[in-house]
Amino acid sequence: MKPEMRQKLAREPFAEKIRKVAQLIRLAKTFPRRPRLAPTQRKAG
Amino acid sequence: MAINQPSDDLPLADVLRAANGLTTAGLIEDWALGGALAAIYYVEPFTTYDADIFFTLKGKDLAAGIPAIYAHLQSQGWQVEHEHLLIRGFPVQFPAANGLTEEAVREAERIDYEGVPAKVFRAEHIIAIAASVGRAKDKSRIELLLQQADLDKTYLENLLQRHKLKLPTP
Repeated sequence: MKPEMRQKLAREPFAEKIRKVAQLIRLAKTFPRRPRLAPTQRKAG
Repeated sequence: MAINQPSDDLPLADVLRAANGLTTAGLIEDWALGGALAAIYYVEPFTTYDADIFFTLKGKDLAAGIPAIYAHLQSQGWQVEHEHLLIRGFPVQFPAANGLTEEAVREAERIDYEGVPAKVFRAEHIIAIAASVGRAKDKSRIELLLQQADLDKTYLENLLQRHKLKLPTP
Protein backbone atom coordinates (compact mmCIF):
# COMPACT_ATOMS: atom_id res chain seq x y z
CA MET A 1 0.00 0.00 0.00
CA LYS A 2 1.22 3.50 -0.85
CA PRO A 3 2.55 5.58 2.07
CA GLU A 4 -0.07 8.32 1.36
CA MET A 5 -2.88 5.77 1.67
CA ARG A 6 -1.42 4.42 4.93
CA GLN A 7 -1.11 7.96 6.27
CA LYS A 8 -4.76 8.58 5.34
CA LEU A 9 -5.76 5.46 7.30
CA ALA A 10 -3.72 6.66 10.27
CA ARG A 11 -5.67 9.96 10.24
CA GLU A 12 -9.11 8.29 10.40
CA PRO A 13 -11.17 8.69 13.60
CA PHE A 14 -10.18 6.21 16.32
CA ALA A 15 -13.63 4.54 16.35
CA GLU A 16 -13.37 3.92 12.60
CA LYS A 17 -9.90 2.41 13.02
CA ILE A 18 -11.22 0.14 15.79
CA ARG A 19 -13.98 -1.07 13.43
CA LYS A 20 -11.25 -1.92 10.90
CA VAL A 21 -9.26 -3.82 13.56
CA ALA A 22 -12.39 -5.91 14.26
CA GLN A 23 -12.63 -6.65 10.52
CA LEU A 24 -8.95 -7.66 10.43
CA ILE A 25 -9.50 -10.01 13.41
CA ARG A 26 -12.49 -11.61 11.64
CA LEU A 27 -10.45 -12.05 8.44
CA ALA A 28 -7.53 -13.57 10.34
CA LYS A 29 -9.90 -16.05 11.99
CA THR A 30 -11.54 -16.93 8.66
CA PHE A 31 -8.24 -17.26 6.78
CA PRO A 32 -5.63 -18.32 9.34
CA ARG A 33 -2.01 -18.18 8.20
CA ARG A 34 -0.54 -21.57 7.47
CA PRO A 35 3.02 -22.11 8.60
CA ARG A 36 5.53 -22.01 5.72
CA LEU A 37 6.94 -25.37 4.78
CA ALA A 38 10.69 -25.86 4.65
CA PRO A 39 11.99 -26.81 1.12
CA THR A 40 12.59 -30.42 2.26
CA GLN A 41 9.01 -30.69 3.56
CA ARG A 42 7.68 -29.27 0.25
CA LYS A 43 9.50 -31.99 -1.71
CA ALA A 44 8.17 -34.69 0.55
CA GLY A 45 4.62 -33.24 0.49
CA MET B 1 -26.51 -7.41 24.89
CA ALA B 2 -25.20 -9.30 27.95
CA ILE B 3 -21.61 -8.44 28.79
CA ASN B 4 -20.44 -12.03 28.32
CA GLN B 5 -22.21 -12.43 24.95
CA PRO B 6 -19.49 -12.79 22.25
CA SER B 7 -19.52 -9.99 19.70
CA ASP B 8 -18.11 -9.57 16.19
CA ASP B 9 -17.25 -5.98 17.06
CA LEU B 10 -14.32 -4.97 19.21
CA PRO B 11 -16.01 -3.90 22.48
CA LEU B 12 -13.56 -1.10 23.29
CA ALA B 13 -16.25 1.23 24.69
CA ASP B 14 -17.25 -1.50 27.17
CA VAL B 15 -13.60 -2.01 28.15
CA LEU B 16 -13.09 1.71 28.80
CA ARG B 17 -16.40 1.96 30.67
CA ALA B 18 -15.34 -0.94 32.90
CA ALA B 19 -11.97 0.74 33.59
CA ASN B 20 -13.82 3.90 34.63
CA GLY B 21 -15.99 1.67 36.85
CA LEU B 22 -12.87 0.40 38.64
CA THR B 23 -11.90 4.00 39.42
CA THR B 24 -15.43 4.84 40.63
CA ALA B 25 -15.42 1.74 42.85
CA GLY B 26 -12.15 2.99 44.40
CA LEU B 27 -10.24 -0.12 43.30
CA ILE B 28 -7.71 1.76 41.19
CA GLU B 29 -6.41 5.30 41.24
CA ASP B 30 -5.91 5.92 37.53
CA TRP B 31 -5.64 4.01 34.27
CA ALA B 32 -4.87 4.40 30.57
CA LEU B 33 -5.10 2.33 27.41
CA GLY B 34 -1.67 1.10 26.35
CA GLY B 35 -0.31 -1.58 24.01
CA ALA B 36 -1.33 -2.11 20.39
CA LEU B 37 -4.73 -0.41 20.67
CA ALA B 38 -3.08 2.72 22.04
CA ALA B 39 -0.65 2.67 19.10
CA ILE B 40 -3.61 2.38 16.70
CA TYR B 41 -4.92 5.67 18.10
CA TYR B 42 -1.95 7.27 16.28
CA VAL B 43 -1.28 4.98 13.31
CA GLU B 44 -3.03 2.86 10.68
CA PRO B 45 -5.12 -0.07 12.00
CA PHE B 46 -3.44 -3.47 12.34
CA THR B 47 -4.45 -6.82 13.81
CA THR B 48 -4.30 -7.21 17.55
CA TYR B 49 -6.03 -9.71 19.77
CA ASP B 50 -6.28 -8.00 23.13
CA ALA B 51 -6.46 -4.70 24.98
CA ASP B 52 -4.07 -3.53 27.69
CA ILE B 53 -5.40 -1.34 30.48
CA PHE B 54 -2.48 -0.15 32.64
CA PHE B 55 -3.53 0.98 36.09
CA THR B 56 -2.14 2.57 39.22
CA LEU B 57 -3.38 1.75 42.72
CA LYS B 58 -4.15 4.16 45.53
CA GLY B 59 -2.02 2.11 47.92
CA LYS B 60 0.84 -0.02 46.69
CA ASP B 61 -0.67 -3.32 47.80
CA LEU B 62 -0.80 -5.20 44.49
CA ALA B 63 -1.37 -8.51 46.30
CA ALA B 64 -4.74 -7.22 47.52
CA GLY B 65 -5.51 -4.90 44.61
CA ILE B 66 -5.36 -7.32 41.67
CA PRO B 67 -7.72 -9.99 43.12
CA ALA B 68 -10.18 -7.19 44.00
CA ILE B 69 -10.12 -5.96 40.38
CA TYR B 70 -10.72 -9.48 39.05
CA ALA B 71 -13.54 -10.10 41.56
CA HIS B 72 -15.21 -6.80 40.67
CA LEU B 73 -15.08 -7.45 36.92
CA GLN B 74 -16.26 -11.05 37.33
CA SER B 75 -19.21 -9.77 39.36
CA GLN B 76 -20.03 -7.60 36.30
CA GLY B 77 -20.10 -10.67 34.04
CA TRP B 78 -16.50 -10.72 32.80
CA GLN B 79 -14.94 -14.15 32.33
CA VAL B 80 -11.41 -15.21 33.23
CA GLU B 81 -9.23 -17.10 30.74
CA HIS B 82 -5.58 -17.57 31.73
CA GLU B 83 -4.05 -14.11 32.27
CA HIS B 84 -6.89 -12.36 30.44
CA LEU B 85 -10.30 -11.15 31.43
CA LEU B 86 -12.84 -11.54 28.65
CA ILE B 87 -15.54 -9.06 27.75
CA ARG B 88 -17.87 -10.22 24.95
CA GLY B 89 -15.17 -12.78 24.10
CA PHE B 90 -12.49 -10.09 23.71
CA PRO B 91 -9.40 -10.54 25.93
CA VAL B 92 -8.25 -7.66 28.13
CA GLN B 93 -5.13 -7.53 30.30
CA PHE B 94 -4.84 -5.29 33.34
CA PRO B 95 -1.10 -4.82 33.97
CA ALA B 96 -0.12 -2.82 37.05
CA ALA B 97 1.82 0.24 35.93
CA ASN B 98 5.26 0.95 37.34
CA GLY B 99 8.22 3.12 36.37
CA LEU B 100 7.89 4.09 32.72
CA THR B 101 4.32 2.76 32.37
CA GLU B 102 3.27 4.58 35.57
CA GLU B 103 4.54 7.82 34.02
CA ALA B 104 2.70 6.89 30.79
CA VAL B 105 -0.57 6.54 32.75
CA ARG B 106 -0.01 9.86 34.55
CA GLU B 107 0.76 11.78 31.34
CA ALA B 108 -1.71 9.97 29.05
CA GLU B 109 -3.87 11.88 26.61
CA ARG B 110 -7.53 12.36 27.55
CA ILE B 111 -9.92 11.25 24.82
CA ASP B 112 -13.60 10.61 24.32
CA TYR B 113 -14.36 7.26 22.74
CA GLU B 114 -17.98 6.90 21.63
CA GLY B 115 -19.11 9.01 24.60
CA VAL B 116 -16.82 7.27 27.12
CA PRO B 117 -14.10 9.41 28.72
CA ALA B 118 -10.78 7.60 28.55
CA LYS B 119 -7.02 8.03 28.60
CA VAL B 120 -4.59 6.70 26.02
CA PHE B 121 -0.79 6.56 26.28
CA ARG B 122 1.01 9.34 24.44
CA ALA B 123 2.72 8.17 21.23
CA GLU B 124 6.11 9.13 22.73
CA HIS B 125 5.51 6.82 25.72
CA ILE B 126 4.44 3.95 23.43
CA ILE B 127 7.75 4.36 21.57
CA ALA B 128 9.76 4.47 24.81
CA ILE B 129 7.99 1.38 26.21
CA ALA B 130 8.54 -0.50 22.91
CA ALA B 131 12.24 0.50 22.99
CA SER B 132 12.50 -0.86 26.54
CA VAL B 133 10.90 -4.21 25.57
CA GLY B 134 12.66 -4.65 22.23
CA ARG B 135 10.82 -7.58 20.60
CA ALA B 136 10.47 -7.68 16.79
CA LYS B 137 6.89 -6.42 17.04
CA ASP B 138 8.04 -3.54 19.26
CA LYS B 139 10.58 -2.50 16.62
CA SER B 140 7.84 -2.53 13.95
CA ARG B 141 5.61 -0.47 16.26
CA ILE B 142 8.36 2.12 16.74
CA GLU B 143 8.92 2.36 12.99
CA LEU B 144 5.18 2.81 12.34
CA LEU B 145 4.84 5.52 15.01
CA LEU B 146 7.91 7.37 13.72
CA GLN B 147 6.42 7.31 10.21
CA GLN B 148 2.79 8.11 10.94
CA ALA B 149 2.28 9.78 14.35
CA ASP B 150 2.60 13.50 15.06
CA LEU B 151 5.37 13.32 17.62
CA ASP B 152 6.77 15.91 19.98
CA LYS B 153 10.43 15.18 19.19
CA THR B 154 11.77 17.18 22.16
CA TYR B 155 9.42 15.35 24.55
CA LEU B 156 10.49 11.98 23.04
CA GLU B 157 14.23 12.74 23.26
CA ASN B 158 13.86 13.87 26.86
CA LEU B 159 11.81 10.77 27.73
CA LEU B 160 14.33 8.38 26.15
CA GLN B 161 17.21 10.17 27.86
CA ARG B 162 15.58 10.13 31.32
CA HIS B 163 14.90 6.39 31.06
CA LYS B 164 18.27 5.64 29.43
CA LEU B 165 16.65 4.18 26.32
CA LYS B 166 17.77 4.18 22.70
CA LEU B 167 15.71 3.69 19.56
CA PRO B 168 16.66 0.56 17.61
CA THR B 169 18.80 1.17 14.54
CA PRO B 170 16.90 0.45 11.30
